[in-house]
Amino acid sequence: MVCLNNMPREYRIRFLPIDRVAPAAEGDNLLEIAMKAGVHINASCGGNGACGKCKVRIAEGSVASSPHRCLSDDEYGKGFRLACSSTVNAGAVVEIPLESQVDRSILRKPAIRDDADAAALIEGSIRDNAFEPLVVKHYLELPGPNPNDNVSDAARLARGFVPGKDGSEMAVPLEVLGDLGKKLRDAHWKVTVTAASNERFREAVLVEEGNRERVHYALAVDVGTTTVCAQLIDCGRGNSGDVKGAPSGNPPVIAESADYNGQISYGEDVISRIMYSRKKGGLKRLQDIVVSTMNRLIEDLIGSACVDAADISHVVVAGNTTMMHLLFGIDPKHIMLAPYTPLATAFAPVSSRRIGLKLGGHARLYTVPGVASYVGGDIVSGVALSGMTSRDEVSLFMDIGTNGEIVLGNSQWLLCASCSAGPAFEGGGIQFGMRAAPGAIEKVRINPANLEPMMITVDRAKPLGICGSGLIDIVAELFMAGAIDQNGKFAEKRSSPRIRKGVSGYEYVLCFAAETKIDKDIVITEVDLDNIMRTKAAVYAGCKVLLENGSLAFPDLGMVIIAGGFGHSIDIEKAVAIGLLPEIPVERFRFLGNGSLGGARMAAVSRSFFEKTGVIARSMTNIELSNNTQFMDEFMAAMFLPHTDEKAFPEVMRVLKTGYRS
Amino acid sequence: MAFEIPKIKYTGRIREVEIGAGQKALKVGGATCYPFYRFEGDMPNVPKVAFEVWDSPPDEWQQWAVEPYRDVLGDPVAWAKKCIDAYGAEMIVLQLRSADPNGENRATEEVVEVVKKVADAIDVPLLVWGTANDDKDSELLRMVAEVCESKNVAVGPVSEKNYKQIGAMAIGYGQVVMASSPIDVNLAKQLNILLGNLGVNEEKIIIDPTTGGLGYGLEYTYSVMERDRMAALTQEDAKLQFPIICNIAPEVWKTRETRLTREEDPKLGDEKRRSVLMEAITAMTLLVAGADIVVMRHPDSVSLVRDMIGELCA
Repeated sequence: MVCLNNMPREYRIRFLPIDRVAPAAEGDNLLEIAMKAGVHINASCGGNGACGKCKVRIAEGSVASSPHRCLSDDEYGKGFRLACSSTVNAGAVVEIPLESQVDRSILRKPAIRDDADAAALIEGSIRDNAFEPLVVKHYLELPGPNPNDNVSDAARLARGFVPGKDGSEMAVPLEVLGDLGKKLRDAHWKVTVTAASNERFREAVLVEEGNRERVHYALAVDVGTTTVCAQLIDCGRGNSGDVKGAPSGNPPVIAESADYNGQISYGEDVISRIMYSRKKGGLKRLQDIVVSTMNRLIEDLIGSACVDAADISHVVVAGNTTMMHLLFGIDPKHIMLAPYTPLATAFAPVSSRRIGLKLGGHARLYTVPGVASYVGGDIVSGVALSGMTSRDEVSLFMDIGTNGEIVLGNSQWLLCASCSAGPAFEGGGIQFGMRAAPGAIEKVRINPANLEPMMITVDRAKPLGICGSGLIDIVAELFMAGAIDQNGKFAEKRSSPRIRKGVSGYEYVLCFAAETKIDKDIVITEVDLDNIMRTKAAVYAGCKVLLENGSLAFPDLGMVIIAGGFGHSIDIEKAVAIGLLPEIPVERFRFLGNGSLGGARMAAVSRSFFEKTGVIARSMTNIELSNNTQFMDEFMAAMFLPHTDEKAFPEVMRVLKTGYRS
Repeated sequence: MAFEIPKIKYTGRIREVEIGAGQKALKVGGATCYPFYRFEGDMPNVPKVAFEVWDSPPDEWQQWAVEPYRDVLGDPVAWAKKCIDAYGAEMIVLQLRSADPNGENRATEEVVEVVKKVADAIDVPLLVWGTANDDKDSELLRMVAEVCESKNVAVGPVSEKNYKQIGAMAIGYGQVVMASSPIDVNLAKQLNILLGNLGVNEEKIIIDPTTGGLGYGLEYTYSVMERDRMAALTQEDAKLQFPIICNIAPEVWKTRETRLTREEDPKLGDEKRRSVLMEAITAMTLLVAGADIVVMRHPDSVSLVRDMIGELCA
């Protein structure tokens, strides 16, 4: 029940002189409100109060803000505040001082879509897939044996078990038979049987005394190259009442945790991990490390949810093909050798103890199947979750991580490819690149008149570096401001104290050393720009080749689904401006978030969803791009801002040529 | 019903670019059809052969290449004049070989002096070809553009690395630029866009797609030029609708097959005839692919190529 008194109060903040009103809730940060509303305020420290540039004057109303060393008493008295250190506590009229003002015509609201997308996207998946966990728990009150009914204990147990919807019967394996007789009799024939689903039948994995139906948990794990994310799901709640209706739509997540994949110390990308696995003992070590990362997460989850590890009935993992090889301890060598054949892409369910997970012996480990060496179960999981395979309109699914996997298709067909995009958007190969962690510059606007930046960091911590969304913003803003040319090189004619010649060519200074946490100027160099260009070109080119293989073009797409952690905060309009994303109506883009984890979660509570991932994996046609001449050609064409084919980006070109005006 | 030959539907036209000034100025480009497809469109300016002249005496030329120019190799002005007077050259390409930093590395001022002398001495269009070293050319071709003011010369190769410096001077002194990209249709287009953004007039750009000689990558140049022309003429790709120049001579005459004598390898036959044919075949092939200017060395191969152009345009 929602207590209305606890809801933050809504206020209106009016920005002058551009006269734009933005809604705000009590406690919201003023700088963030301005960014969201497209109001430019100089801010070069990311919003942690170090640079003192985001000075504004509160003309009416009030904000909660303390005095600051950058504000004289006189200024404070006159109503000047630092926007980054001010939170809303009432309605207010905020004056932007002259030094921060930008021609209002260039102020546009960022086209950021949020997680609301994800909920709407997966609604279909939830609706279409009945709540039936991969492992079920049923409480049985069996009639005891008598002279007229003396079938075996095992047959009695199986007989009492409600067959699955498909009529599948339950088998009782040797492991369970061991103490079955005593258990049944001790429990007076009132037991809860835990049954795992296999391909064709269910198999009893545990028999417990009494009614344990409600004590039934599952884990969903996304085993990423960089991060491992896990969720603990309560499957027992779904058991009460209507079997079909999962409570409140989504599978009930009761705890969530994430950590870096411990394998990171042995290489940042899959290729270096494969290289390491070829050393003596390397494969075993990598397996042990990722398993211990998972065990740490499990401990964390059961601790915070107060759940007994023995009550976890099953685990569903999704990850790229290399991660799955390493998790199961099988040799991934051929993944990196032409013609890139994995040992396996699908794995039969096994006991989770087989790989060393600290769970009960009965806990089953299920794996979302993959497609090929560079299109793994993480992608299949996301595609299944996104519901694109149940729609007739064609969708494009993109996961912009290190590899940049893309999937095109609809209810009838699916094409996929991996376009070795490089890690630029994860911060790799960028001098001050970093992942989206506290201190990462994630949103940037640049005043085209004087190239002064406005930026916000994750958690508004002192800047440490730049993450993917920040990089996209910077390139787009510098490009639209005319500070870089269409070939991604700095235009020398722009003179600004922020553009200078550094050790690796020209560079743009985003933050001066004093404003950062690293005591170094945070810059973006021409080499960085090159790397970003290559990454964005690979992604766009891969999409283009897939589309052409399907005899389609970007405008034919009903939906573009962006998955991956990276996809949370990217500003679509900026990504289009640099030609990373195609120029199609902005409302066709959707953010899925971590589709790999979401799909694993759905699979854990829906056998039909899990089976669907198998169907999807088998029906995807993989297009190999590494030796594809068309891809190389499209790649060269995309190595330009926004693209060599200007006709594909008419709006970007129009804005570029005429300015934001008109 | 009579059979009708299917025709390609063209939507674009190659821009006409004028090089040189005065009575002998020449236009190249202007086609509204694929090369020599005059039954489908118009080819108002037949493709041109430009004779190459080196700014300093070449020391590695084959005897059979030296032969026609033996008396003038030490004097670029006399060399250019001989090409015009004796061999009927309609265009001269002055190759600034002596400026190459990897070779003689002659000072820019001295090289430019030679350029000016040649430019003043001839009345046919002059094209000035630099060293293909981005930094040196940036300095050299800027000065060339300046000293050749009002002569409407073509300067190149202009690359993605030095287009700003050379392009700005070419705009200032009204010269034509030869935009050079490494055998790639997209890179060619990107450089043309960048030149356009810089303010270079669209009637002042010629494409140098980078030339491979027969047996040394000719097919790559051919495919790229073919795609350039398809994009320009049938896909309305305005940024590729420029005439194309192929600097053939230095590519062909440095190959092993034009250097070996009959004594060294009897299978290859007469060295002079062989070299002339290699140059002529390279030129003919690239003309069919869409070249508007071919830069050539030997008068005999030139005359074979002229025959071909004449016959195809009869």
